[in-house]
Amino acid sequence: MRNALTGVERALFWTLAFAAFAAAAAGLGARAVDRLAVQYETQRNAYAIVRVLAPEGPAGLSAAESALRGAPHVASAAVMDAQRAAQLLTQWGGGEVLPEDLPPIRLLEIELRPAGPNVDVSGDVVAALAQGGVTAEVIEAPNTTAGGGAVSRVRTAALWGAIAFALVMAIIVSLSARGLAARRRELVTVMCDLGATRGQAAGRIADEAAVLGLYAGAVGGALAGVVALVVMLLVIPAATIEALPQMILPIDLAPIIAAPLGAAVAAGAGARAAASYFHAKAARLG
Amino acid sequence: MSRLNHTDLELFERGVLVRLSNVDAGYGAATVLMGVDFEARAGEVALVTGPAAAGKTTLTHVLRLALPPRSGRALIMGVDVGRASGRQLAEVKRKIGYVAETPTFIEHWSAFDNIAMPLRMIGKKPREYADDVRELVDFVGISEAADLPVEKLSGAERRRCAIARALAAKPHLILADDPTAGMSPADGRRVVRLLAEMRRVGAGVVIASQDESLADCAPILRWRLERGRLTQVDTSLPAETEASE
Repeated sequence: MRNALTGVERALFWTLAFAAFAAAAAGLGARAVDRLAVQYETQRNAYAIVRVLAPEGPAGLSAAESALRGAPHVASAAVMDAQRAAQLLTQWGGGEVLPEDLPPIRLLEIELRPAGPNVDVSGDVVAALAQGGVTAEVIEAPNTTAGGGAVSRVRTAALWGAIAFALVMAIIVSLSARGLAARRRELVTVMCDLGATRGQAAGRIADEAAVLGLYAGAVGGALAGVVALVVMLLVIPAATIEALPQMILPIDLAPIIAAPLGAAVAAGAGARAAASYFHAKAARLG
Repeated sequence: MSRLNHTDLELFERGVLVRLSNVDAGYGAATVLMGVDFEARAGEVALVTGPAAAGKTTLTHVLRLALPPRSGRALIMGVDVGRASGRQLAEVKRKIGYVAETPTFIEHWSAFDNIAMPLRMIGKKPREYADDVRELVDFVGISEAADLPVEKLSGAERRRCAIARALAAKPHLILADDPTAGMSPADGRRVVRLLAEMRRVGAGVVIASQDESLADCAPILRWRLERGRLTQVDTSLPAETEASE
């Protein structure tokens, strides 16, 4: 790579590195959003409320609590007192709800273990309660309201947003690399005069741009990775240097690996197109 | 399907490097060359003279395949320019050594590297071409400046560098567009003799210049170009004299 990192190419190098940094950061951000959404969905699915229909009163709640201890899918169960109910209603409803304003509560909160996709969790829990002499219904977090559908929409939006942003950055890299070809125009002209085919002349310039893009992308991707680690350490209380390897999944490295490859391809393609144009201009006058 | 014609190739094998038949060429709306007939053979030197704007540079552009003829037939080294593919044209170009009126170089490269470029393009390694290039550098008389960047060379040195580059890949046809421009008469004559020397190794040489006296430098076939129309002045080569040597 002749003079690709010196002089005027330095500005181009940092332009490409910045674009690669932005694309990699967007990818890491999208991945973080995705992980948060999955975590939220998991927590949401692991929670349900049991409403005791019969027997009424504390005896019904106590029997239900006993039955739930051995019920399938149930990790824990706790009777919901008026204080907790008021707190939840305040949280969900927006306005303040006082415990003393509530009627007698016949609810239990249960935490569920993860189950397969085709398992009727509610049916199994209701059956276990019936065996314990309790008639009850299980209220799971619905998929149709804000919590359910929003998660998949957020994940999709994060994915396509990151892809769209990466494409925009690739276009910026590609257009910037055309500048490199413009500065190598005399080389293309000389090669053309000496009998180089369009592919030979454009290939040489494209190779140089691709190597520059690869280096710049590696620097941009590495910087994005460092920034991501710093943000994780600052934002996530549980994050420590020791815990980081477990927190970073292989897929989180994808944007960092894709940055140099993407920058190389985009820079090479942009430079090739421009060099081909310059070759065509040099090859045919008139 | 091959676009090469066997009759054309036979012509090339018999030493006819260039044959233009009734060629018109120009730029945009302007037609510069009109009905040009021209032939250049291996081992011969042709001098095309004419006043400024007569079409000499345009003729060299046609001969170096940079300007396609608008009509007529241009046969360069057995290839019909009007029917050849880009790859075939590039192949023919590699057999042409071209010295432009204002040569283009990779300015920050040394004269040596610029001269070696045609050899690098055909895949030769530095150890394979270093001696040949040094020899060429000596031949054109720029040994002292060979390792300087071309941007540091004088006009005459640049011209010599361009000649060396044009000769590097041992071309079949050498085209020189006004190679003595800006030189003293003595330097100009030396450059033309240098180019004419290449006839001895079987190359054909075409020199375009305003200076008719260059015909005295070597056995040269003279052509005259005026207002886009080319006429042959000599029909046979003059005998070699001491003056021309």
